[in-house]
Amino acid sequence: QSRQESPEERPQFPGASAEFAERLEFIQPNVLAGIPVYRVMDRQGHVLRPSEDPQLPKEQVLKLYKTMTLLNTMDRILYESQRQGRISFYMTNYGEEGTHVGSAAALDASDLVFGQYREAGVLLYRGYPLELFMAQCYGNASDPGKGRQMPVHYGCPERHFVTISSPLATQIPQGDAPGAGPDPVPCPRDPISGHFGAAAPGSGTRAGGPGGRKAPDPRGFFPGSHPVFPAAARGPGYGLLSIRVDGNDVFAVYNATREARRRAVAENQPFLIEAMTYRCGGRESPQKTPFSRGFPPKTPFPMDFSPLSRIGHHSTSDDSSAYRSVDEVNYWDKQDHPISRLRHYMANRGWWDEEEEKAWRKSSRKMVLEAFEQAEREPKPPPRLLFSDVYLEMPPRLRRQRAELERHLETYGEHYPLQQFQK
Amino acid sequence: GQTQKMNLFQSITSALDNALAKDPTAVVFGEDVAFGGVFRCTVGLRDKYGKDRVFNTPLCEQGIVGFGIGIAVTGATAIAEIQFADYIFPAFDQIVNEAAKYRYRSGDLFNCGNLTIRAPWGCVGHGALYHSQSPEAFFAHCPGIKVVIPRSPLQAKGLLLSCIEDKNPCIFFEPKILYRAAVEQVPVEPYNIPLSQAEVLQTGSDVTMVAWGTQVHVIKEVAAMAQEKLGVSCEVIDLRTILPWDTETVCKSVAKTGRLLISHEAPLTGGFASEISSTVQEECFLNLEAPISRVCGYDTPFPHIFEPFYIPDKWKCYDALRKMINY
Repeated sequence: QSRQESPEERPQFPGASAEFAERLEFIQPNVLAGIPVYRVMDRQGHVLRPSEDPQLPKEQVLKLYKTMTLLNTMDRILYESQRQGRISFYMTNYGEEGTHVGSAAALDASDLVFGQYREAGVLLYRGYPLELFMAQCYGNASDPGKGRQMPVHYGCPERHFVTISSPLATQIPQGDAPGAGPDPVPCPRDPISGHFGAAAPGSGTRAGGPGGRKAPDPRGFFPGSHPVFPAAARGPGYGLLSIRVDGNDVFAVYNATREARRRAVAENQPFLIEAMTYRCGGRESPQKTPFSRGFPPKTPFPMDFSPLSRIGHHSTSDDSSAYRSVDEVNYWDKQDHPISRLRHYMANRGWWDEEEEKAWRKSSRKMVLEAFEQAEREPKPPPRLLFSDVYLEMPPRLRRQRAELERHLETYGEHYPLQQFQK
Repeated sequence: GQTQKMNLFQSITSALDNALAKDPTAVVFGEDVAFGGVFRCTVGLRDKYGKDRVFNTPLCEQGIVGFGIGIAVTGATAIAEIQFADYIFPAFDQIVNEAAKYRYRSGDLFNCGNLTIRAPWGCVGHGALYHSQSPEAFFAHCPGIKVVIPRSPLQAKGLLLSCIEDKNPCIFFEPKILYRAAVEQVPVEPYNIPLSQAEVLQTGSDVTMVAWGTQVHVIKEVAAMAQEKLGVSCEVIDLRTILPWDTETVCKSVAKTGRLLISHEAPLTGGFASEISSTVQEECFLNLEAPISRVCGYDTPFPHIFEPFYIPDKWKCYDALRKMINY
């Protein structure tokens, strides 16, 4: 019998199942920094290993492609509209389109998604209409969110997408919750997805996150050239099954999400998927954003961010000098982009060609512009909606404040932009 | 001495520059401060003072403040930036349970008085729930920290330098809407404006009006309106330090005028105006000619599209003043 086998020779500390060591040696923290990146396609859209091709039907692949490109078109138009002062703020999804649709396609439509703020492609894949994206950005009377939040803070219970909030990583412990508790929510709704972005890995709330049951976490981002902690490498430290995937490869994202979902439900444990995308360019010089949106006159909201792992700027509070060239196909090809990769895959199969690309480009742009113009024309919600939904029931004091405002507007209404709002 | 035209963010940079030059232990840190900061408050500082003194932190407010406390405890000067006051709440435990109580709980054996936390604050026209908040009331309820809010570049530099040099942990809220809009001639050399001293901007005899930060400019305009339309003479006070606040200046003024209007963007219930109002009615009860008036944000989160209706603008302040005069 070896010395190690007798009880006194093994560590008796609760939770420790290791052996003693007689050599002083520190564990390297970056031993997992070289986690390989799972991919299915090469940059020309060729599937490298046939077994990894999810073999999605043509219709679904076209839907993936059209969702990504429609999102991109919507992004361009809304980004530009912010520069022109027509909406107050915007965040693009450039470069992340593949992670949105890849993960959305792999989830069930009823899986509850807790996003960060850059997951519009998930909602778009689930059929959220352009009109409602625009309505929220314009804060007009059609906005189901009642004009309460800055643009891009979408939400939709019917499509199982929890309304976005600005604070970072707050959705992670929240996303962990469904499925915990004595009687978990019945199966179709169990899998939930907490997406988080580049900055989140540093956040303290991440430590409070995945650890509960049935919580696949299909997407995390690693900011390419910023030495923030890699998400996938931290997964094992949290006791999570983790994988790093090529975020520019829709099928890689799809496969990883699909498998994580299947196993999360079957094995009752959370998963961490880190989808890598490329950083593009450096930080352009900051510029003022002149805009005026009526009353009261606003000063520019200057936030100058280094772009991290996404292609665009953090938000429109960044500078205005980097409007992308119209020739986006060349740009995407140069940069290795999820859209171009999928397009190559489709072209390789004869599912797409230049003519269809041109026609789709034209019609999708038309759809976006129509929705946009419509949203711009619509009035804002009635000012009394400022007061509701603080609680389920309106406290008497708040009711009095609402009445105060109504009286105030009777006398001083000329000084307020009432003509832009419904009565 | 020599002055230079500076806007609010430039006056902050100037204060930080002075602090880093004067105090070899001073360090400036926070999210994105290295390249100059999202509001450009730290432009040029890393180039001038080096990466060991001006550096980025991970995105973790709890960590930023905790780290700042640690530095301050060793005796070095920590100047921490929280990117928006709306995001200060993960650091609330560190501020309230640690920074504020460090000296008291140790019997003055330890302290983190060398800590200053800066954060952009207040409405900006379209910031909505998470880029517009004025959270001073949460911190006013916490003995052990100081809370300071400047109204202008000249004030900001002097007050920030005083916070940095003050031997107690300080929170310095910077009105973000004024970062570019407010411009003044500001001395290039360091200077101090005392903490816990309110400033009477304009003397008057009929009404006292108290505000801080951006709202000071609103009540100044209301004072002019009152004089012109009602022939009413207003005394305008910038409180400047929320905690510990200058009760003497405010009470002395109300004892003279008999009427008080307090205004802030933050919601009415539990807002700092309630503390001022309560103290003044204790000290000046017999002087009061009318109930104290508070013109504040409503008891809701800060809305996006409804901002023009939400904020305590000059018309609401003017109307409240008129009612007080006619009481």
